[in-house]
Amino acid sequence: MYVIIAYDVSVERVNKVKKFLRKHLNWIQNSLFEGELTQSDLEEVKMGLREIINEDEDMIVIYRLRSRDVAKREVLGIEKSSVDEII
Amino acid sequence: MRKRNFYIVSDGKLRRKENTIYFENAEGKRPIPINSIYSIYALGSLTITSQALNYLAREGICVHFFNRYGYYTGSFYPRESLISGDVVVKQAEHYLDREKRLYLAKAFVEGSIMNMARVLRRNGEDDTGVISALQGLENSESVEEVMGAEATARTEYYSKFDSMLSGMKFEKRSRQPPENEVNAMISFGNSLLYSAVLTEIYHTQLHPAVSYLHEPSERRFSLSLDLAEIFKPLLVDRLVISLVNKKMVGEGDFDEDFKGVLLSEKGRKKFLKAFNERLERTVKHRTLGRNVSYQRLIRLECYKLVKHILGVEKYRPFVMWW
Repeated sequence: MYVIIAYDVSVERVNKVKKFLRKHLNWIQNSLFEGELTQSDLEEVKMGLREIINEDEDMIVIYRLRSRDVAKREVLGIEKSSVDEII
Repeated sequence: MRKRNFYIVSDGKLRRKENTIYFENAEGKRPIPINSIYSIYALGSLTITSQALNYLAREGICVHFFNRYGYYTGSFYPRESLISGDVVVKQAEHYLDREKRLYLAKAFVEGSIMNMARVLRRNGEDDTGVISALQGLENSESVEEVMGAEATARTEYYSKFDSMLSGMKFEKRSRQPPENEVNAMISFGNSLLYSAVLTEIYHTQLHPAVSYLHEPSERRFSLSLDLAEIFKPLLVDRLVISLVNKKMVGEGDFDEDFKGVLLSEKGRKKFLKAFNERLERTVKHRTLGRNVSYQRLIRLECYKLVKHILGVEKYRPFVMWW
């Protein structure tokens, strides 16, 4: 599945969340990650995030899509990162 | 993250930062999520820091290196995590025992021949010449004879290439250096396939240097060569035929040297993209009943080999069913 994760967390944890998500997903812009995950990867990501955030103060939204194609993704302005497998 | 192969054609440096692998050069930084890497193909001139290598090794990620002509030069093959002394000993036993080795060598060539025939039939060519080499294979009493049968089939197979291709000439198989565009693509494709097979072997208990068709003494991961034979028609030849016939490669995709023809940087990128799409393409597996990628088919072949070696189930080579 294709997953989009947006987060709004307290400043002292924001970098921890970013660092953690970098291992699993592509960084798109500040507080936003995207990428292809399997069901078990997603569980792992959720577990990792729960350990980092304070569930009373922070918020993370996870969108699950069947594939990248259904997202009808559109970018205005400059695309900051590429996800191509040929570098 | 679903794991993917990454192909690095630009020049630059690979380093580890914040538990992520970064590719950096003058044009900028490109993070590659560690959990999304299946293997890395390094085709440009690449610097890798030891921290990055340690990290890749920890995650069991192979890095395959190619020189600037696109020839495979070597692999970073991390310390194995799947070790089974039992499998390695049995693997050697199947090599040392003449009959057992002959069985496997024949099986690999049989797979190879059947798949070549499949490519011919699919393109409307007569496959009787190739199929008739199976008789010689059947009667072979040594590995040399098996290789002879393979060579006969291959000559027959290549003789049909020109009528399958439109717009480009194949003439004959030439390598090191390839003499024309089609041969350049076949050579490059074979190098990539060899590495792809090696990646799959890494993820099994098999030892990559103990082989049956090719002599294991050739300072190479020769088991990869054995298994690659079976998959060349599917993953390389069909790809080359389709790229040529769909006119997807042409002017500007090749460099002509004083010695031979090679893919240009642009052509190489195109080829890599097409090759990777092919590895990721899926087909419904007949016995497993689910979709598997072509890359996965190679892994399944390794598993079949392990089963054979351990005496669980006799090995039968993969033959395309589509």
